[in-house]
Amino acid sequence: MSKIDLKQWVQEPVWFTGFAAALLACILGYLVNILVSEVNPGNWWGMTYGTVATLLMAGDVLYAAKRRMLRYNLGKSSSWVQFHLYGGALFAVLVLMHTGFRLPVGAMNWMLWILSLWVTGSGLFGVMLQRWIPTILSSGLSVEALYDRIPDLVAGIRERAERIVAGSTETVRDFYSATVAGALSAPQYRAIYFLDVTGGIKEKLKPFEYVRPLLTAEEKDRLSQLEEMFRTKLELDAHYTLQRPLRWWLYTHVPLSFALVILVVLHLYAVLVY
Amino acid sequence: MAELSKTQIKRVEQHKDRWSSFGKGTGILDIAEKPTPEVLRNYTLFREFDDKFLERLSPDISIARWKKNSMLFEEGSYIDVAFLIVAGEIQVSIEKQRENTQQLPIFNRSRTMIAGSGGLKPPAQAGMTVFQGQIAKQPVDGSPITYLASVDFNLPSDGVMTLGPGEIFGEIGALSGWPQSVTAKTSSECELVQIRVPALRLLRKRSASLKKLLDTLYRERALFSQLKNTPLFGGLPDSLLRSLVERIELVSCDPDEAIANEGEPCDALYLVRSGFVKMSQRVGEGNIVVSYLSKGGILGDVELLIEGTAGWVYTANSKEYSELAKLSRADLKEILSRNPGVESVLWNSAVNRLKESGYSRRVLRQSEFLDTALGKGLVEGNSILVIDLNVCTRCDDCVRGCADTHGGIPRFVREGDKIANLLVTRACYHCEDPVCLVGCPTGAIRRADVGDVVEIDDKLCIGCHTCANNCPYDAITMLSTGETWPADAIPEGFRGKEKELASKCDLCYTDPAGPACVRSCPHGCATRVGNVAEFRSLLRE
Repeated sequence: MSKIDLKQWVQEPVWFTGFAAALLACILGYLVNILVSEVNPGNWWGMTYGTVATLLMAGDVLYAAKRRMLRYNLGKSSSWVQFHLYGGALFAVLVLMHTGFRLPVGAMNWMLWILSLWVTGSGLFGVMLQRWIPTILSSGLSVEALYDRIPDLVAGIRERAERIVAGSTETVRDFYSATVAGALSAPQYRAIYFLDVTGGIKEKLKPFEYVRPLLTAEEKDRLSQLEEMFRTKLELDAHYTLQRPLRWWLYTHVPLSFALVILVVLHLYAVLVY
Repeated sequence: MAELSKTQIKRVEQHKDRWSSFGKGTGILDIAEKPTPEVLRNYTLFREFDDKFLERLSPDISIARWKKNSMLFEEGSYIDVAFLIVAGEIQVSIEKQRENTQQLPIFNRSRTMIAGSGGLKPPAQAGMTVFQGQIAKQPVDGSPITYLASVDFNLPSDGVMTLGPGEIFGEIGALSGWPQSVTAKTSSECELVQIRVPALRLLRKRSASLKKLLDTLYRERALFSQLKNTPLFGGLPDSLLRSLVERIELVSCDPDEAIANEGEPCDALYLVRSGFVKMSQRVGEGNIVVSYLSKGGILGDVELLIEGTAGWVYTANSKEYSELAKLSRADLKEILSRNPGVESVLWNSAVNRLKESGYSRRVLRQSEFLDTALGKGLVEGNSILVIDLNVCTRCDDCVRGCADTHGGIPRFVREGDKIANLLVTRACYHCEDPVCLVGCPTGAIRRADVGDVVEIDDKLCIGCHTCANNCPYDAITMLSTGETWPADAIPEGFRGKEKELASKCDLCYTDPAGPACVRSCPHGCATRVGNVAEFRSLLRE
């Protein structure tokens, strides 16, 4: 892996080092636990793992609150995210230590166990998306667009294209109807962009070359404008396709995170009261 | 009727300021805009020109009658108009007690790639936040860079001068983009010919007599103080400086105009007074950009210092309109013989320039980047918000952070030019030469007294669009207030129109934590850069 790749994946080495140290401490602690005592969620060792995991979870949840209070100076968001990320990973490790790496017993414990792993897993999946998609977006596209504005931008392109076509010859009009109009109707989701960010744009532009020799100089100019618009639209499709999982991923993570918080509160109540 | 281009529309809109009919009702009694050639010929200045040329000048000229005690411009304001007094008297004065006004550099050494050690600088000083870094950019004594002071009248502090018919004023600030160092008021009812910068440039190019007059005024009003306040010439005795003032040639260049051609004989040293100069060198069959000069930059140091240099080592072209001071080889030799200290200043500059150009020749991406930086105006910015798209997850927290900090309305748009992996957002650059300040009728947009921050005072802004139209980077937006100006509003140009407010980034300069956009970014990919070296360091290969 090259140096740049490492920078992409480990954005703040200090936090990564801290995480590695904490993870090592956990492993060593667990080994000592095995040597000196039984692994049990109800004894001092198990309670300690559970308490630290709960505190980490609480810290992680605070990030959601912080994002809604950006006007207040509560430290750099990037530091909060690093805590959220590494704290979340440690949380899962501590939950597994808390249960002694055994499958839980009882419906409540099963739900807690599954949700803990799901939330951590979906978080790590999100991190992977966040590291991977920006790289491909910036690698082969000349256009940058805000996801929410893509439908408006496409509509704007369509309007301009139709104005150009309205004043053109029949050849250009027919070409537009057959080749371009459909693509300009709306943003299109195309999974191919995940594999190739250009999505075969070059190939899709080839028909412009076939029709170009048939046109006058003025019409060629119009065709070039249409070609540029078509290219921009295809790049917007790439943004539309690739930015979508960056947003939708949150639906697999956030609601279940809050469900987990509620279950942990119930779990604490059950443990402390009964 | 032909449709106006975007540039033409901007041009028309730009003249909606206090010196146009838009400002009628404030100090202007009458104003004649776009005067015909016949009207212009009533004034001596225009008599020598034909109709065609005068028609070309006309959109940028107006003849205004101002009432007594009207404020034409204030100290520190930026203007794009020069005034020729036809009748009446104008009082120019230094009103504010500003400490060391004459020593204030208009050139900031940290903005050059060759500042200090000569190498590319790290993106931020250790232990400093970006914000502190912006503020901390102050010149250092003994720097190899020449400073040109922002002075256009050699007035003593709290001094007053009266100007009368036939005199021109405001031209230095207008042509160089410097803030005015004086306040100008009418001390009687006055008739003034108001000449906007485009017309002033055309006139100066066409009329040898006007060029001579403007140069004379510049020598009288500014040059001595400027030279006196440069590290390069500051140590020279006054008598030598005064003789230099007479001998220095003042050169004005149009965009792309050649100042020096590589290989041709070099017989002079140039100091950049305003604008940017692109320096390139021949490589193979073409030219590559190897460096650039901004205010205070020196051209010719390498050529004149190093024995055996056959001619210009660089080709130098004016990037935009630029103003230079030209010193002949003979005059430079005289100075060097009498003041050896000057030579060491020049050597520093020359060595740094050679290092930089050598680096650009070795690493062609550096050259390509310099070209882009000049083309996109990055060289102007003191604090440009850039986003690393390789890392950005498009979460928009930077925009939300900005909005939350500014009453729910963001002051920038996460869109703009893409340069490799970096997005240059449409957030205020806090430019070195903030053209948005030119012509603000109320002084609402101004330099905050912190670093290079340009801010807008909402209480003073009247929503005239002047700043938004002037900004080359579309970084100022107009917000509707939902109200309408009353029918008796002054200036009259507003009557019945919707009240608006200009809005732009203020760098959150009152917040010690720094800009909200940067601190809200969860992935650390939003950065404020203060010079092209910092920008370059963020580019990924």
